[in-house]
Amino acid sequence: MRIIVDILILCSIFFAFAGVVGMLRMPDVFCRMQSSTNIATLGVLGVILGGFLFSLVYLHDVAMALKLLMMGVFYIITNPITGHAICRGAYKHGIRPDNEMECDKYGEDLEVEE
Amino acid sequence: MKKASPSAIASTAILCFLFWLMITGQIVSIFKGEASAQVLIAGAVVSILAGLFSARFFIHEKAFFLWDPKRFASLIVYCCWTFPRELVKANIDVAKRALDPDLPVNPGIVKVPANVKGSYAQAMLADSITLTPGTITMDITEEDDKTYYYIHWIDVATQEPEEAGEAIKGTLEAGVRKIWED
Amino acid sequence: MSELVFFAICFIVLALCLLYRLIIGPSIADRAITADSIDILSDMALILFALYSGRSVFIDIAFITALLGFIGSVVVARYLEGKL
Repeated sequence: MRIIVDILILCSIFFAFAGVVGMLRMPDVFCRMQSSTNIATLGVLGVILGGFLFSLVYLHDVAMALKLLMMGVFYIITNPITGHAICRGAYKHGIRPDNEMECDKYGEDLEVEE
Repeated sequence: MKKASPSAIASTAILCFLFWLMITGQIVSIFKGEASAQVLIAGAVVSILAGLFSARFFIHEKAFFLWDPKRFASLIVYCCWTFPRELVKANIDVAKRALDPDLPVNPGIVKVPANVKGSYAQAMLADSITLTPGTITMDITEEDDKTYYYIHWIDVATQEPEEAGEAIKGTLEAGVRKIWED
Repeated sequence: MSELVFFAICFIVLALCLLYRLIIGPSIADRAITADSIDILSDMALILFALYSGRSVFIDIAFITALLGFIGSVVVARYLEGKL
């Protein structure tokens, strides 16, 4: 049982590490945002699930386990809102990537509207 | 701003009360039989107040729409099987890209049609797409009765709306449609 | 039991690596996302420490931090969009 908890937390650390490396290496703002989603999904869920099992089996504390689950639900609900809001805000503020994007349908349609 | 109906207020208050029970750990003491009535009544009053003030932002019509066994079952299937599978697949893909020495990214913004009806279903599909790494929904628009998402995609394989939609949405769209269909 | 503290230290080290991006980040949006990620990573460290010590107070603190980080990011996004 202990090994399962450790493996879950180690998976979470691996994905958080990949996300951090991505955030330091990616070329522009929007790509960095994709890597930050990587931290906030599996980087969080591994710790939450591992902590849930640990507090049920070793600490015998059901209230703590439920609190951890609610925290996971909270992260899952709020993270896409943050990502979407910052992404659109950055685009509307005029931040563009340095090198040319493959295609940019959003910018074309915004120009047509104006 | 529309006014909220009584059933909308009731369902928001029940949701707030359940959340409060979970977060304070009162639900455990209820099952053990040692919860004090004063604390529970205080929590119920505060959740009804929260429901009164915030129901109009949450629920517009058909407050107990999800309390149908079939819909609830497909919601559980979506949350426990369909969505985690896509999530893990996309996570591994983006982690590989970030750790690759050559950094194989090819970013772009594509326009993708959404074949779901109703604002809740559209919001849920957009949130699911944002939550899978590699794709972020930037905006939503309507053009002659069809809804389109603008999606920032880390590796643009195709610019055709239908094929890009197939690659991005995968099995998510069918699951969402099963939950919110009439 | 003590490996939980070791994992918590790993998360803190990852958060410290992100400080580099927070300092050099060319635009406001970079800094906002990085601050959000640092918030999440330190929350994970707090959760692991709560498991180690067996006291659920630290989980409450992590919850409040997550809430404040969410509100802060949304406010920054509204500011960037010019609607604040």
